[in-house]
Formats: sequence, structure tokens, C-alpha cells
Amino acid sequence: MGAVTSPVRGPDDAAGDADVMRRIRAGDRDAVDDLYERFRRPAFALARRIIADDTLAEDVLQEVFLSVWRDPAAFDRARGSVASWLLAVVHHKAVDAVRREESQRRRQAQAEEERALDEPTATRDVEDEAWSRVVADQVRTAMGTLSAPQREALTLAYYGGYTQREVAALTGTPLGTVKTRMLAGMRRLKQELGGAAGSGGLGSAPSSEESQR
Amino acid sequence: MTGDHERFDELAVGWALHALEPDDEAEFGRHLPGCARCAETVAETTEVMAGMAADLPPAEPSAGLRSRLREAVAGTAQESGPVPAPVADRPAAPAALPSPRRSRALRLALVAAAVAAVVGLGVWNVVLGADRRELETTVAQQREVVAALLTPGEATVATLDGDGGPVATVVARADRLQVVTHGLAVNDAGSTTYVLWGLGQDGPKALGTFDVEQSQMGLRTVGSEATGLDEFPQYGISIEPGQEAPSAPTDVVATGQVTS
Repeated sequence: MGAVTSPVRGPDDAAGDADVMRRIRAGDRDAVDDLYERFRRPAFALARRIIADDTLAEDVLQEVFLSVWRDPAAFDRARGSVASWLLAVVHHKAVDAVRREESQRRRQAQAEEERALDEPTATRDVEDEAWSRVVADQVRTAMGTLSAPQREALTLAYYGGYTQREVAALTGTPLGTVKTRMLAGMRRLKQELGGAAGSGGLGSAPSSEESQR
Repeated sequence: MTGDHERFDELAVGWALHALEPDDEAEFGRHLPGCARCAETVAETTEVMAGMAADLPPAEPSAGLRSRLREAVAGTAQESGPVPAPVADRPAAPAALPSPRRSRALRLALVAAAVAAVVGLGVWNVVLGADRRELETTVAQQREVVAALLTPGEATVATLDGDGGPVATVVARADRLQVVTHGLAVNDAGSTTYVLWGLGQDGPKALGTFDVEQSQMGLRTVGSEATGLDEFPQYGISIEPGQEAPSAPTDVVATGQVTS
């Protein structure tokens, strides 16, 4: 398992995250508190963005952190940093939750939800958020380098929790094109965000769609 | 090479995003365990996704969640040991890649098998007070066995128990099937043979024959036909008269389940 340099956490944070996971594995219940302290905000921000319901988002968070306690070895079976793994688990469970709640949520006025989401539920903790602001800027810039269709496909899938077929239907695009766009967009983002050159499918030569921006 | 693999690169991204249709998900779920490139693609995508999560309006969950979580943790036991999580409770795709889990569990199983075999051998040596040359031969053999067990690549391992404990370990790889014997009695190769059986839904299937010529640990490649990694959940060994496998086992001396 190669170490994956994380674009989302500072090196000290990443080492601390790994240490907290070791304590959880050793059966230390307090370590779950520490993990929660470290990740409650990005985890909650992601869950509520996908679910658009604070109560359900909190349920997802509880489910996620409890599952980490129950089976911390799941992290060993994955690759990469604690942060990216944990946020992927949050994403997965939030998407599952939203698919269960599909009818209620998606029928509601999107505009209303979007407005509510722009209002932070808590004031920004300046010192704590300095690093994530830097990352947020980088990500926004990277997203800006995508072609509009690539950005749309990835945004709908990641923040919206839509499947590839749903994205195809929403954007009036063939399924195969949606798949290609997601791959090309991810390759571009990986390139823009840096990190170690890996041996995976995102490190390959850019596909043709990338030149269509 | 990347051109041929482009389709799987696409599926890997969709898998990490939890955005695949059921058919694609099933197909990729079968492909992923054997593909290092795809495991890496999923990891890379997961890392980019974490970056995308950073670009969201900050939000703070209610204070009540912390205490609810603490309570839930206090009342929940950890899963210990290699108990597979129920499918419905499987964590996120990147978290529960069949591939790393399998290979890690497998490595551990292989190491355990090798250690068990070597330890058993050590005891045998002490008991018999083997002379130096014998010891050297033994060490060479065990080195060979351990090296064969730890050959990189995917394998399925089953430890087979006889009456008094483990007597053999089956290691099935994509291209060969091997048996490490570490407690089977020496058989009369002239009039009997051991037969390895795959035990699946369709009843026992003979996979190959072998003889045990010494009570020391030994590694044998059994049969020429590749059986695949997942074909059988269980294996068994029987001792049979003659030189060939009958259609069904007559005297089963050991059975065991796949452990990885």
C-alpha cells in the first residue's frame, strides 16, 4: 500500500489522523471522540450537501463514526489517507440515505434548499479553517479548468448523489459519454490538485475529451 | 494497454463515486480484486473526492450529535477477528475494496500457514534429533515451501483438518493447485493414492492425486487443470486404493473450508 499524499490534510493532521485510527483499533472508545472532533465539520458539510436535510445528515454521521468504531479494520483494507477514506464512507452512506429518501427530497424546490445551504449553520472557526480554505481555493480553481460538461457530470454525481444513468438523463447525454466525461474530469482534477504521480488510471495520458474545453 | 483498459478506468471512477448502475457495479466488483491498476484508480479518485468535499460551505453539526455518538459507541462492541461484515453493512466502496482486503487477509493466511508448517517441522526435528545434513535438507525444503506459499498473486487457502488437527493446506491459484502436507501419513504409493477433492454444490470433484513419501512437510502441485480461485468453498482429501481417483471419495482423511 503506497502512501498517498493527501491534498486535503496537512502533514501533521494526517499523522495525527493515523494515530487516532490506531487507538480506535486498539479498542480506545475516547479515540472515536477525537476522530469526531477532527472530521465532524467536513463530514457534516458533505453529508448535508448531498442529503439537504440536517437531521438525516447527522444520522449519517452517527452511522459512519459508529461503523468506524465497530470495524476499524475497514480502513486497513482501503488505501490512502484517513481523511479521504472517511469522507468516502460519508459520501457513500449519504448517497445511500438520499436514494432512500429520494421522493421527499428531490421533489422539493431546489432553490429553497440551495439558499439554505449557503448559510453556514455555525460561524467559521478562522484558525482551524485556514488550511481547508487554501484547499477549497485550489479545488475551485481546479474545477474551473474542467469543461462545463465534465464539471456538470462530476458535480451531479459527487455533490448530488446521482448515478451515471441519472446524470445521463438529467443532462440529455448518452451514458457512455457521461462515463467518459467523469473519467476525463477526474484525470484533470488529479493533475491540477497534484499529489504523487500514481500508477492508476488517473495518471494516464489525457483522453481526447479533455481538449474540448 | 491503457486503451484496452479505458473502460475499466471509467468504471473505477464511477465505483469510487458510488454512481454505477447495478450491472456495471457487479461487473466491476468482479474485476477489481485482481486489478492493481483499478485499486489505484479508485484510491486516486477517492483522494480527489476528498478535495471536492473541502469546497463546501462550512457547517457544524448540533452539539447533541457528539453525545448521541458517545452513547452509541459505549453500547457497541467492536468486531474482532476476521469476521466479515454483513453485505448490507459494507462501508463505502473505497473503504471495503474486495481487493486489498482479500490480499491482506490472504497474506496473513499464507504466512500463518507457512509458520504453522515450519513450527510443526521444528518440533519434529527436535523429537527425532535429526543430524546436520538432514536438518539442512529440511531447512532447504521449508524455504522452498515458504517461498512457494508467499509467491505474489491471488490465491485461496484452505487448511484441512484430520482427526488430530490440521494435516494439510490447500493453496489454489489461478494457474495451479498446490497442497502442503504437514501431517498426512505416508501412503504406499504402489497400491494407494491420496486424492484432493473440491467440495462444491455439485458434490465432490476429484482435482488430482498425490502421494506422501515422507512425514516431513512437503509441497505438491496437484493436477494440471486450473480450478479457479473461488470454485470451491471447501476441500477434502481421501485415501484411495489404486492409482486413480474414483468418482466419489471412499475414505476421507481431512476436510477444511477456504479461510480467505
